[in-house]
Amino acid sequence: MGGVAITGVGVVTPLGDTPDEVLRRIKAGETAARRPTGFDPAPFSCPSCAEIPDFRPERHVPEPKAVRLMSRDTLLAVAAAGLAIRDAGVTVGETYPGEGVALYGATGMAGLPLAEVAPLVTHAASDGRFDPQRFGAVTLKRVRPVLSFKILSNMPICFVSIFAGLQGPNAVYNPWEGQGAHAIIAGARAVARGRAACALVGGCDVKTHELAFVALEQHGVFRPWREQGAGAVPGEGAAFLVLEDEQRARARGAPLYARLADWRTATAPSGHSPAATYENVMAPLASPAPGVLISAADGESARAEAEAQALAACGVRPATRIAPKRHVGDLFAAAAALQVTLAAAIARSSPAGARVLANALGFGSEQAAFLLEAV
Amino acid sequence: MNRVVVTGIGVVSPVGNGRSGFWRGLVGGRSGIGPLTLFDASTFPVRIGGEVKGLGLDGLAARFPKARGERDRKVWLGLAAAEESLTDAGLAAGDLCAAALHVGVGLEVFFLEDVARLAGAADPARAAGVLVDGAADAQPLQTPLDRLGQLLGDHYGIFGGRYVNCSACAAGAMVIGEAAERLRSGEADVALAGAADSMLNPLGVGGFGLLRVLSAENDRPQEACRPFDATRQGTVLGEGAAFVVLETLQRALRRGARIYAEVLGYGCSMDAFRVSDPEPSGRGAVLSMTKALADAGLRPGDIDCASAHGTGTPKNDAVETAAIKEVLGGRARQIPVHAVKSMTGHMIAASGAVEAVAAVLTLAESTVPPTINLRTPDPECDLDYVADGPRPMTGRTVLSNSFGFGGQNATLIFGRHHT
Repeated sequence: MGGVAITGVGVVTPLGDTPDEVLRRIKAGETAARRPTGFDPAPFSCPSCAEIPDFRPERHVPEPKAVRLMSRDTLLAVAAAGLAIRDAGVTVGETYPGEGVALYGATGMAGLPLAEVAPLVTHAASDGRFDPQRFGAVTLKRVRPVLSFKILSNMPICFVSIFAGLQGPNAVYNPWEGQGAHAIIAGARAVARGRAACALVGGCDVKTHELAFVALEQHGVFRPWREQGAGAVPGEGAAFLVLEDEQRARARGAPLYARLADWRTATAPSGHSPAATYENVMAPLASPAPGVLISAADGESARAEAEAQALAACGVRPATRIAPKRHVGDLFAAAAALQVTLAAAIARSSPAGARVLANALGFGSEQAAFLLEAV
Repeated sequence: MNRVVVTGIGVVSPVGNGRSGFWRGLVGGRSGIGPLTLFDASTFPVRIGGEVKGLGLDGLAARFPKARGERDRKVWLGLAAAEESLTDAGLAAGDLCAAALHVGVGLEVFFLEDVARLAGAADPARAAGVLVDGAADAQPLQTPLDRLGQLLGDHYGIFGGRYVNCSACAAGAMVIGEAAERLRSGEADVALAGAADSMLNPLGVGGFGLLRVLSAENDRPQEACRPFDATRQGTVLGEGAAFVVLETLQRALRRGARIYAEVLGYGCSMDAFRVSDPEPSGRGAVLSMTKALADAGLRPGDIDCASAHGTGTPKNDAVETAAIKEVLGGRARQIPVHAVKSMTGHMIAASGAVEAVAAVLTLAESTVPPTINLRTPDPECDLDYVADGPRPMTGRTVLSNSFGFGGQNATLIFGRHHT
């Protein structure tokens, strides 16, 4: 396999639209966690979320009319993907043909807020009970067909392909951070094995509305909040990276953030110590020891402790340790891409050979870590 | 590069369950389309679909106790198909620790019963509290898309990576293609790959109906899905699941496994056109098939049969026909091109996996299934669609297309196994 370089990054997050801004605000100790603006969090164990203030889709979507077809996670994905492609200086159709650019992305669950879903039942419920007969007779005559485009789980990535003109190898994964890591790895492999000259990889997620909170509560993500009064703060955002064969990238004079030197994944068995799983993904990447760690630690003490145990077992004592989720919120399907994006930004300003470890350890069975080298 | 073979098959579908039942239904030209019974669709414009019958939920619940109470039907469909495929391959939990698990699924089903509680409440926050306190019988509002993979992975002890692909109608083919690539490159030597979907619920049938892609010929359900027919009016939603066990050839031979077929090639692409319509020139479909041929190291003349995406929508079938002709050239008119969906309906995320199983069985059983309901030729659809009933398959390769809503495309090529 050939070397894979990161040549472009794009992020849209609660703490800014460039990795450098996000890192600066993290280092300044800022946090985006706030009381939700759209609903009362009282019924939920988690009292806050990390929202993006003043996101303006018209700045990012090439066809303004298409905005009405797009859910918020799609809008964020299109925005971050566009930023990454521009950052890499890639002009699809010129730098590379559309069929030569791969696209692998991750989307999250529960993408739509209640306000968008409610019209489905407004005229189809009596006494709070859903009535399929009324749904067929009344709702289907009133609801707009465009809702279908907002519900389908692959739509964010499909809209990215349409606006960017990408026609290469692709897949959409769902719903948690580990699947976002799989998307990055799929793109890296496509480039390394010559199936694509270039790959756009990343993820998007919106977990800042009441239906997302219901889902996170029901699926146990908020359990640490319920049991310990602290935990991960759900956020919203998108992050994408442009990956290219390093030699080709150098030949075209592309900006090189870092070399994606290696990665590891592990599937966490139920009831298994997370520290052991984390150690499995980090140990092969631990020597020589990375000087910077993009930690997966969020507000959940158990995850932070497990990561710390695994690092100690691997003998990794990074001089710099950054925990973005504690500031930006947990972006779930977009979290892995954000971790790697921030690692890339740090690697770019580091001396050649410096190593940055980006952990993608989160909810769900799939755990991953990425090793970046400054070039 | 390792060679990859299919050593286990499991399927549940509207035309029959289990490998044998499914195959009998297909070669018998049996339509699985009928009036919807899974919910009261009496006021819907579309009231027909391809339902899976005789799933045996009680037995499944007993064998997969962690799935008890699961409301998302595709989870049950997937468990049934995956279980059969592993049994068929002669594999058990202890054999799968390092296996890769690739699962294709559709969208998260909103349970509108729960949404109604929230949206209809004077105080939505209070209603949300009721849901999260477990008053909704502890049933989640939505089933996360990794639920099927989690249940399968935990039940069978699969820890070689779990991949959840939600690439719409291309997902079922993609998971098999991605798993095969993993085995070829040596990342694993065995994989369980497949997909499950059911959109036969108010949201699915209503939503696809709004997009005007469904046939509303409710009075003749068995004839409603007519791929490549000049009078076709749309597709019909179906449900189903299929899983295959993939192994490296060396591993399969070593353990004396029965080999159904070999995975020769995989290609995928995106239309990059519109989310709702196929690109009119068939550019994405052409690219997908071309990449699969290149991946397999085959020429157009090497393809002996094609399993079309063949939805029965006016746009898809004409574009796919043109794309097949562009890729295969003169060979396109010499080979049978059949459409499984004429019998099963469109199983969305599951369709690519179910049709891959059909392609594998076409080789293993040496028979091409028919395309039913094709009576009126369409000048734009002018290939040999096997409209006159099943026929012997003497060739060595089958190409299977899956084109997804949103513009994702995938093509698999299977070959008759020979050592």
